[in-house]
Amino acid sequence: MEEHTGRDLISELPQGIIETILTKLPIGDAVRTSVLSTRWRNKWALLTHLVFNDRSAIQFHDITALQHIIVNFVTRFLFLHDGPIHKFSLCTSYLQSSPDIDQWLLFISRKDVKELILELGEGEWFRAPSSVFSCKNLTRLELVRCELDPPPNFKGFLFLKYLSLQQVLIPPDDVERLISSCPLLESLTLSYFDSLELTVRAPNLKYLILEGEFKDLCLANTPLLVAISVAMYMTDDIAEHFEQSSSCNFDKLLGGVPNLERLIGHIYFTKYLSIGNGRGRSRITYNQLKFIELYQVSFDDMKEVLVVLQLIMHSPNLKALQISGSSNTSGTMRSPDSEIWDEKFSIDCTFHKLKTVKLTDVSGVPHEMKFIKYLLERTPGLEEMSITPGLYVTDKRLNMLIDLVSFRRASPQASIVFIHEPV
Amino acid sequence: MTEADSDIIKPEMLKAYVWLQTSDGSIQQVEQEFAMYCPFICQEIQAGMGSSKNYPISLPPRVNPAMLSLILDYCRFHQVPGRSNKERKSFDEKFVRMDTKRLCELTSAADSLQLKPLVDLTSRALARVIEGKTPEEIREIFHLPDDLTEEEKLEPIKNTMDDPRIRLLNRLYARKRKELKERERLKTAEAEEEHADERSVDDLLSFINGSNEDSRGTRTSKTKKKNRKRKDHHKTAPPNCTSTSNITSCSSNSVNMDKKELDARHSMYSNPLLHGKLLTDVCNATKLLDIEDDGLAAEDEFDDCDLDDDIDPALKEQIDREVEDFARRLNSDWPERMQEILSLGQQRRPLQVTINGNGSLRRFTSLDQRQK
Repeated sequence: MEEHTGRDLISELPQGIIETILTKLPIGDAVRTSVLSTRWRNKWALLTHLVFNDRSAIQFHDITALQHIIVNFVTRFLFLHDGPIHKFSLCTSYLQSSPDIDQWLLFISRKDVKELILELGEGEWFRAPSSVFSCKNLTRLELVRCELDPPPNFKGFLFLKYLSLQQVLIPPDDVERLISSCPLLESLTLSYFDSLELTVRAPNLKYLILEGEFKDLCLANTPLLVAISVAMYMTDDIAEHFEQSSSCNFDKLLGGVPNLERLIGHIYFTKYLSIGNGRGRSRITYNQLKFIELYQVSFDDMKEVLVVLQLIMHSPNLKALQISGSSNTSGTMRSPDSEIWDEKFSIDCTFHKLKTVKLTDVSGVPHEMKFIKYLLERTPGLEEMSITPGLYVTDKRLNMLIDLVSFRRASPQASIVFIHEPV
Repeated sequence: MTEADSDIIKPEMLKAYVWLQTSDGSIQQVEQEFAMYCPFICQEIQAGMGSSKNYPISLPPRVNPAMLSLILDYCRFHQVPGRSNKERKSFDEKFVRMDTKRLCELTSAADSLQLKPLVDLTSRALARVIEGKTPEEIREIFHLPDDLTEEEKLEPIKNTMDDPRIRLLNRLYARKRKELKERERLKTAEAEEEHADERSVDDLLSFINGSNEDSRGTRTSKTKKKNRKRKDHHKTAPPNCTSTSNITSCSSNSVNMDKKELDARHSMYSNPLLHGKLLTDVCNATKLLDIEDDGLAAEDEFDDCDLDDDIDPALKEQIDREVEDFARRLNSDWPERMQEILSLGQQRRPLQVTINGNGSLRRFTSLDQRQK
């Protein structure tokens, strides 16, 4: 075999780089480096970023044996580990709630942990022990499928910048309390919450991602918000609740975000915004808003169309607009409320910066075509507009094309792409 | 006059240059905008250095001229703003295709220049080199000294629970240690002693191959499924059979061991903490069982092992399945084992020539012992 003609260069690299290299390995491989040579015996034990996941999991027929292996491995690893632990990430579908996990979290909480990520398997949800709340220096917390119950004297994570709760059972009041008690919070993600009334008070918040059924959503103190992505589910109860409410959802959600740069709305978002939306109200101008993406916009509902129009009319610097129509349009061809369009068309409003428009799932309803006409006439800088008809819209396509061709365009270099896949 | 001057000045000359001095003393002139990609150089420029040949920026000692030119290539590509992410990624992929020695040097140099994106890139490349390899392979690639004692690699598990599987494992370890001592002794003993291995390795393997046709078949397919690059690809088949025979013998002997137990034993092997240590040595144990039958005869445990046909087919199937599982665990070790086997075979080949008749006789006797 080869003699050692080469120099051992890798062992001389500084510990920081060795750690970078070892962190990019599956953790089992990282531990295995302890048998390489005397210098490598303990390099793995100084790792500060620990990521345990199913990547190094072995295929086993017997789940309990595999669970046993994983629990053993993590326990022994932590026991043999040396030094601070800055990141602890446990993402495995094989483990559920178990006292071992509580012990690990207790151990971690004593080690100055800064990032904590927990995602366990389906089944009985894990209940976060109180040691999670004693991790004073947390900057990042991601929890999936667990129960969170902050103790009454919990003062908050003073350094938390990134919070993500997905499928987390938490008393509704405590969500707001948790958010407001993290003064440095910059990114908030809440997924799969049921019937939540949420008021967000987070003065440093920049990124907000929400998904679930929200009875009421209010951004009360979020002046620095830069990007919002909301996927609003709606049940019948919530729809009824909205019919009775008198408040204006648009203002409550988008009334206090002057620095917004990107807005993404899924499912019933525009419908949500359209509720309580009085016309002619003064709105703030979104000077930084450059990208708007709205999905499931029902062009049958004039109120939703109004929401879209108001959004773009108050965004002078809008660069790209993407709207996806709703596929469940009622086939009734009511005569469109053309007075509204006449009014809109008479207002002198040009979108100078709008360069790209993408419309998908277009069903060709009158409001939609009017909207396209409206856009084409007022976008002198338009470069490309792409239109994709909905999959099930077969008979209206020719009419759509005929209309499109007849519309006047303000931009000489605009190219209109009609994406036609043969049915 | 000034207009005439400005006519003479060509555009290229208006580019700013900085002077860099590498560890070997040589001084280079580099366009400033590319050099500025490195935070270290940036700081030095702001401190006023590097503007002329007399005051070059002294680069840290780990940056030699070859590394500097690589780093500058990297900076030159990425400093250009118009590139798409895809372009950058594909450049990066091609950039790190170099031998590991240069990778290490480059990582070191980039780190001293505080060029974090390049450090990340090279670290990832090094991690890919390490990932999935056995300790021996890693040692060879990086020229690491194999200076852990066999004992350190072999530390047995303390059996606090009196678990029969752990007992078995410890017994294997004890045997292994004994074999090691035997080996040491045999090495220093006279040449005649060394005829346990006089039959060529190929003979031995073909014998085993003959008796374990189906297992071998499944094994090669399994190894081929693994998408690790193997230099000695063709060598994977025989070692599988070597261990197969032993594992079969183990399994058939401890026939009462149900599948769960065997799997649990696998669990110990697959526990990464022990993996590196266990793996080499259980494998060693099985290999030694095969080659040095002398040591084998003494142990009761493996005496009753049948190599094949006395086992009834259903049991054989179960055993084969267990064997597959087990071998998958030990799979990563095959090329290394094969190399060892071959090297041992080579050492002993000259002896085979002189002791031929004796050797073959020996061979059959040892077989008889096994088949009893």
